Amino acid sequence: MNIQEHLPILVIAIPILMSALMIMLRSRPTFQKTLNIIVSALILIMSVILLLQVWNSGIQVYEVGEWGKYGIMLVADLLGSGMVVLSSGISLLALIYSLDYIEGKSLNTTYHSLFNLLVAGLNGTFLTGDIFNMFVFFEILLLSSCGLVVASENGGVTKVSDKMEATFKYLILNIIGSMLMLVAVASLYATVGTLNMADLSVKISALSQAGTMPWHIYFIALLFIIVFGNKAAIFPLHYWLPDVHPTAPSPISAMLSGVMIKVGAYGILRIYFLVFKDALFLLQPIIILLALITIAIGAIAAVGQKDVKRLLAYSSVSQIGYVFLGIGMGTAYALAASLVYLVNHAIAKSMLFLTSGGIIHHAGTRDMHQMGGMVKSAPLMSSMFLIGAMSIAGLPPLGGFIAKFVLFDAAILGEYYLPVLIGFAFAVFTIFYMFRAWLLMFWGEVRDSEKYGPYSSHGLSPMITVPIIILAAAVLVLGVYSEPLIALSSEIANQLLDPQPYINAVLGGSVR
Amino acid sequence: MNNTILSITIALIFGIGTFLILRRDIIKIIIGLSLISHAVNMLIVSTGVFDGEKAPIITDSHHGSGSEIIFTDKLSEGILAPIVPSGMETPFVDPLVQALVLTAIVISLATTAFILILAYRIHEEYGTTDIRKLRRLRG
Repeated sequence: MNIQEHLPILVIAIPILMSALMIMLRSRPTFQKTLNIIVSALILIMSVILLLQVWNSGIQVYEVGEWGKYGIMLVADLLGSGMVVLSSGISLLALIYSLDYIEGKSLNTTYHSLFNLLVAGLNGTFLTGDIFNMFVFFEILLLSSCGLVVASENGGVTKVSDKMEATFKYLILNIIGSMLMLVAVASLYATVGTLNMADLSVKISALSQAGTMPWHIYFIALLFIIVFGNKAAIFPLHYWLPDVHPTAPSPISAMLSGVMIKVGAYGILRIYFLVFKDALFLLQPIIILLALITIAIGAIAAVGQKDVKRLLAYSSVSQIGYVFLGIGMGTAYALAASLVYLVNHAIAKSMLFLTSGGIIHHAGTRDMHQMGGMVKSAPLMSSMFLIGAMSIAGLPPLGGFIAKFVLFDAAILGEYYLPVLIGFAFAVFTIFYMFRAWLLMFWGEVRDSEKYGPYSSHGLSPMITVPIIILAAAVLVLGVYSEPLIALSSEIANQLLDPQPYINAVLGGSVR
Repeated sequence: MNNTILSITIALIFGIGTFLILRRDIIKIIIGLSLISHAVNMLIVSTGVFDGEKAPIITDSHHGSGSEIIFTDKLSEGILAPIVPSGMETPFVDPLVQALVLTAIVISLATTAFILILAYRIHEEYGTTDIRKLRRLRG
């Protein structure tokens, strides 16, 4: 009975347990907050230990209920456990931030509980080895994030009716996506009679080698593009994102834009490179095309925004396109580049959303045209926003520069000249809209700083500033000392392109 | 014959659900979503070995070497388990699809409950359930 063997289930089970406990502790707010922060830090430490364990001794497999491949399995490989480290790190900082940012009544009743469910859903999605179980964790993610989007913040920055409307769009589109996922999963089950992803991979490649691959496997693979594209908000399915991410409270926007849309990228990486690797030749041009249109549409729409959080949301649409561009190119170097981009965007964008919360509370408005000259009155927010904007725009020496450099380098080595050209053109757009936002908010004439808008302002406390500073330090470190991340990403990309160790770890000796 | 009628039913329910989702009233959209989730549940049931009269219980007599049901993979011979040869009389139905459908039903119950409460709050905030009047965000 070694505790380290149980880490994959613990990072899922502890948040679910905490979610029930938090509802019961709602009459003792201080204890509730302290306990939740301690447990979140504990989960972060456990996920780091899990990553180190996977790095040192190979893929960890945890059988829930000892049913082998017929039951539910949790599989922690480098990709999954790396994503768990990323999501638990950002969620710990977002939790600390939200203790002061979210309104007390909402915070003490349901907020902690739903936040823990969100963490459990994220960790579960990244660690599960069963395709139906992935659907279940998607639904946990969907419902808990819907509950968090409607949580109200201090000062009433967003109108309740806006939250309702955004949540309605989010819920309807994502329920349709989940139904399509169920159709795809059911069709896979009807074709090959299993739900375990490693088992699916073995059976589909056996069918493919025997030359008897049914034609509808390709259609199932295309259905999964819709499912994960909807989660990640790539081109034809991105219309909900610019409504939902800005209307959510800032820490939740950081979770949604930083980690939640990466779930789609993770799903594509996991399902396509493990299960549908024989259909990849058909899917890669589609993913590249959709990624390029996503980059273009997100960047063009971001230029004309006047709401600061809406600009950041459109920027997320554009940036997730770059991640998908790397996935679509599909060489080992391009996959590694796409993972480096994913991590850098997750950290920089969550930091920008957290900073935007501070800016909105300082200015009392979300309209950038009504702000101005805040560089003197809010020097911290201004420098932090500048660091984030420079990282997203891809200027050295910050993390975004390394990410864009590696991605374009991979594309040129893979001889994808036209995608590089389009990606580079819209990278220039990124610099333009990010610095336009910074200039509008912090440069220029000082406006009447007390009475911008209808919202009451809310001072900055250490609870709000410390998470932002930690994330900014992470952005700087990733830019200056990026070798460990690139080495990890290359290792993950090699594992993705050669899934045989994964399959051996899952299926080896587990058949009863 | 049985399977044909089942397929036509699933297709019809999918069609009606899609039609309702494209309406303007929030309540009709929600009814459409519930219909689609029922259609998906029926689809999942129909993917298993489906027969009206049998139970999902595998006894030892089925598991023995005498039966033709294959329980373990033999990839070298191109056999994928668990599998039932076509045309063979099955002594049981697939137990897994029931577990899947139960999970899907519970989840669709939760989402439907959430979305009905949301529709009630939207009616309180906006005074209408017509989605053409719900356009304060720019989408």
